[in-house]
Amino acid sequence: MNNLINIWHVLLRELRRIVSRPLYLGATIGAMLVAVFFFMTLMARGAAEKMPVAIVDLDQTTISRRVCHEMQATSSVDIILITNSYPEAREAMQQGHIYGIFVIPDGFYRDLVAFKRPQLDFYVTNAYTVGGNTSYKQMLTMANLASGAFQREVLRKKGMTDDVIMNRIQPVAIEGHMLTNPWGNYTIYLVSTVLPGILGVIALMMTVFAIGFELKTKTSTQWLKTAGGNYTIAMIGKLIPYTVIYLTLGIVCHILFYNIADFPVLGSHARLLFGQLLYIMAMEIMGIVLIGCLPTLRDALSVGALYAMLGFSLSGFTYPNMAMLPMVKALSNLEPLRHYYLIYVNEALMGAPAINSMPHALALAAFIVPALCVAPRLHRALKYQNYPLK
Amino acid sequence: MTRILYQYWLRVQETWWIFVNELRRVFRDRGVMIIVVLGTLAYPFLYKSMYWNEQISDIPVAVVDLSNSPESRAFLHRWNATPDVRLTYSCTSMAEAERLLRDQKVHGIIYFPRDYAAQLADPLGKAHISLYCDMSSFLYMKGIYLSCNQVMLDAMRNIQIDRYENMGLDKEFAWSLVQDAPYSETALFTPTGGYGSFLIPAVLVMILHQTLFFSICLLMGTIREEKTEIYRIPGRRRGYSAFRVILARGGAYFLIYYALAAILLGLLPRLFGLPHIGAIGDILRFNVPFILAVIFMSLCVGFFIRNRESGLVMLVPTTSLIFLFIAGISWPKEMIPVGWRYVSYLIPYTWASNGFIHINSMGASLWTTRTEYIALWGLTAGYFALAVTMFLIAGYRQDRKESLLAQSESVHPEGSSGSVEPQA
Repeated sequence: MNNLINIWHVLLRELRRIVSRPLYLGATIGAMLVAVFFFMTLMARGAAEKMPVAIVDLDQTTISRRVCHEMQATSSVDIILITNSYPEAREAMQQGHIYGIFVIPDGFYRDLVAFKRPQLDFYVTNAYTVGGNTSYKQMLTMANLASGAFQREVLRKKGMTDDVIMNRIQPVAIEGHMLTNPWGNYTIYLVSTVLPGILGVIALMMTVFAIGFELKTKTSTQWLKTAGGNYTIAMIGKLIPYTVIYLTLGIVCHILFYNIADFPVLGSHARLLFGQLLYIMAMEIMGIVLIGCLPTLRDALSVGALYAMLGFSLSGFTYPNMAMLPMVKALSNLEPLRHYYLIYVNEALMGAPAINSMPHALALAAFIVPALCVAPRLHRALKYQNYPLK
Repeated sequence: MTRILYQYWLRVQETWWIFVNELRRVFRDRGVMIIVVLGTLAYPFLYKSMYWNEQISDIPVAVVDLSNSPESRAFLHRWNATPDVRLTYSCTSMAEAERLLRDQKVHGIIYFPRDYAAQLADPLGKAHISLYCDMSSFLYMKGIYLSCNQVMLDAMRNIQIDRYENMGLDKEFAWSLVQDAPYSETALFTPTGGYGSFLIPAVLVMILHQTLFFSICLLMGTIREEKTEIYRIPGRRRGYSAFRVILARGGAYFLIYYALAAILLGLLPRLFGLPHIGAIGDILRFNVPFILAVIFMSLCVGFFIRNRESGLVMLVPTTSLIFLFIAGISWPKEMIPVGWRYVSYLIPYTWASNGFIHINSMGASLWTTRTEYIALWGLTAGYFALAVTMFLIAGYRQDRKESLLAQSESVHPEGSSGSVEPQA
């Protein structure tokens, strides 16, 4: 009972601190709202469309113009440059104006009707992945269609119907199914990991700051006194208000993604949210570990920034973890975001049973261990304030 | 005459003094040194080791082959031979394969319906293959889909030729009909199409941009907190020295970061085996406005930071990712709403990352990259002017406050305690 009262006192003290400076709410609620607004409006359309490309038309005949026309009619590319000079197209690519170049050679039509098999060339840039890939796929299709168009003409002259011709031209078809994200929507893919990720980074930095600032301004003894000298109570009371803020932000995001924007969740909403809570708490705990190891505020913040930002790449949501070196793969387990991402995949994308997410939830819970290890050191630092202030 | 010269000499000396003092401050500040040293030296190596393999290969795929025919087996055999996928499981039903996918044992499923071979044999038939991709990472889908498509296009040509031959067409003619317009595809600039080759150049620019940005914010916060002279040269009672203060301090940061930028953007791509077809001289010249623009932007942002650490807490979680995405690197700039694109023009990273990729990875000359180069000089000039203006105003205000204080002190000698700013 006494403990509960002490927690209440620490909590009230923390609330007073939070409202005392705009930084506390600005760096948590403010920063998160900016991030949510940014990422939800950045990709108004979820899939890459109308990627600019150039056509180098050295043929200049009706058939080459028809290729241009047909390509322009597709949704994935936009021809912004038709030229008869390859260097000009190449320079446009070097300036970042286009992602692909489609070359129709000189005498294309003449050679085609003479069965001389003229060659189409297309070039894509790999220096920009999404733009390059999207235009690549479309130009590949166009190159195949261009050849199909001529086959169609020949077969038609042989008196075949269009249906029959199509099956001859394309006797095999691949039906691609993008599971749980049938639109190939980049927003769903990106935002589902990036925004919870940012929330976690905020939690880590804020925890380091909230504790480190007490050390820096030498108010930590007063904080411990409010908690009745009990380190655990001091920590719990201090972190409760922040955790409530993060959880609220997390729930707002969850509703925004899965109820308003209708991102798919095949599994359990409750388990996904629980995973998010565990992730946030793991990040807060890593904040305690950092300030415990480096009880000088600026050092802990600098190291924390470097550590937290690595999580986005190490989680493996862009470049899959399986392709990383074994050492890096092992290292990625030290990033809570990695475990949250796996829980997200299981719950939202796979609809897997709870048992699949268990190991990752346990891994997140295991972050408490290093926090217990640094507890005596941090307790001493709070009590004796025996670290340099700057 | 000598007097005027002496005055100028004094000014040069003062500027030099601030410059040296600022360098000393940077190297003495442990927080800044952690960010600069760990950030610029350890981060590139971490990223290189993360994307060491460049390509994602051997993506595990489950096979559900209900047709169980020589044709489907030949297809699978050829697909398995591509570097992208590895057919790890053979399942008898979709349910079984779906379970494997759910447990993340595989990242894709290929399904041949029962009538696959029959449809191929039928001269008018159309065969279907179904492909199911795990969307937890777009690179899985890319690897599985593109490699399967290649194998399918190859298989298709053989089938077409067989069919035309069966129609009684001459084999030669069938060939020229099927391959009436062959094509060749070329991936320009980064032939491997590796993920690291694409992302690491942008990350290197980001590392320089953000470590410099955060460091200056830290330093500005510290100066504000310690209440040392910031807008003016100490001892001078007038606010007109802002120009030289900013020049001297910017010079100190420039000295350090220009060297770091030469290492990160000039040396590391060569050391890491990343694309580096740009002229080194162009990169070095491009770095000048890049570093300057970041310095003056950071001075402008840092102006609003009151405490040493608040800058880090506020800016770390959001800025890096926002800068990365708004620049149009990961997500094409054409797909970014106009409003955000205008915002992106104010961020040096947008111009620097695209310009660096154009020069370094795509072999553009500085002349070809002039848009970015000029834009960076424009940002440099704009932020410099803004910083000088803000420092002048602040210095002027401080002057006035001090002179008012001096007045009130002369009236009430003991009442000076009210001038201390309240600090939380």
